[in-house]
This record gives sequence, C-alpha cells and structure tokens, in this order.
Amino acid sequence: MIAFTLFYNPMTIHFYNQVWLVLPLCGAVAIIYKTVRTQNLRRLPLEIVASLGYMVGGLVALAVILWLILKYWP
Amino acid sequence: MAKSVKEKTGALPVLALLLAWLVPGAGHVCVGRIRRGIIIFVVIAATFWAGVAVGGVMTVDYYGERWWFMAEMLTGAHGLVGWQQQKKVYQELARYPEIRDTSGPEQQSYIQEKLAQKKIALVAPADSIARVYAGVAGLLNLMCMFDAFMLALIGQVGEPPPTKARKQPKPETP
Repeated sequence: MIAFTLFYNPMTIHFYNQVWLVLPLCGAVAIIYKTVRTQNLRRLPLEIVASLGYMVGGLVALAVILWLILKYWP
Repeated sequence: MAKSVKEKTGALPVLALLLAWLVPGAGHVCVGRIRRGIIIFVVIAATFWAGVAVGGVMTVDYYGERWWFMAEMLTGAHGLVGWQQQKKVYQELARYPEIRDTSGPEQQSYIQEKLAQKKIALVAPADSIARVYAGVAGLLNLMCMFDAFMLALIGQVGEPPPTKARKQPKPETP
C-alpha cells in the first residue's frame, strides 16, 4: 500500500459529502470581497457574516426552487 | 498646470499589480493597507492549498485543464510552486518508453494509467472540488490585484479616513 502524502495524493471524498465543501469556499469569497470593499476594518467581521449569510441563503433558496421544479414539474 | 496621473503616482500602480500577483496581498501592503494585505495573503493561500490538499499534485495541470490552470496561475507564487510539483511528475513519466514513443490519445491513456498506479490520478469528485478551490483562489487574487492597482493609480495610499455618521435633524417642536 502506498502511504498517503498530503499535497501529493488526492483525498478520498464521498460524493454526498462534497456539498459541505461549498461553505469554506463561500467563506473565502466573503472574506476577500469584504476585505477589499469595506471602508472600516472594525466592521469587517460583521460584514463578512452578513455576506456569507446572503450567499448561503441564496444557494439554499436556489436549491429549494430547483428541487421543487424537479419534484412537481409535470 | 495639473500633473498627470502617471506623474503623480510614478511606477507604483505597476509595482502594486506585479507584487499583488506574485504574493497575494503584497499589492495592498504596497499601498499601505497592511492588515488587509495580511488577510488576503492568509485566505488566498489557505484556499489554494486546500484545493491542492484535496486534489493532490495533479490539481495544477497544464496539460489536462488549461482554463483552470490559467486561473490557478493568478495566485502567483502559490500557483508556480504547484506547477513545478506537477512538472516533476511529468518529467518522471517521460522516462517510460511507452509514453515517450507514442503521441495523442494513446499517450494520454498511458499517462493516466501511470498516474493511477502512483495513486495520484485525479478522479471525481475530488477533481472538481480541488480545481474549483485552487481556481477560485486565483480569481479572488485577480480582484485584489485590480483593487491594489486602482488604489495606487488614484494615489489612495493607506487606510481610508473614517466616515462620519450623518447627524439626524432634530424634529422641530412647536
């Protein structure tokens, strides 16, 4: 058996677990976007949380709409 | 006579752009926004290397995924290190005669076979996750590069002054 080396061998990820990896990615986008845009760095954590909430909320809403279309489309 | 933008800022915009590409966040440090630069460096490095950790050495793939590769190269030094690691794998594979002496789809299938033997071939779903993380890190750095360039161009060095809260007019009492 070949030993696992980080940054060399790919990780084994279950297909159904990959959806959770969108959260850190949204977090990274929110942090960078707000770091660039904000006028006052003291308000940065609050703005990041708000931006992350909008992104995750939008994705969940989109997922629900698509699920409803798939389920009830004639 | 008013000085042109180029005379006022000198080579700072180009320097900020180059630094922002080479080391994410360095462009903001260059225009005096040190804390923002540190945040940008940490987050972009973490996002890029999280992608490489998920996908392994074949995440930054010049031959297989050109568009993602271009996005990954926008992370500067991080992307270059990832590319060098992947180049070493291809140099090692070039030693095999069945890969060296063929071309086209046959060569690609031999390469895939050797990568699978080494347990470094990228397969679903790790391939899409890894490339999205590394590519998005590059695209985020593109935004930071543009921001640092524009700040240097308009001569806005340092943190912006705090904005004063507007005073609400008092209601008139009769």
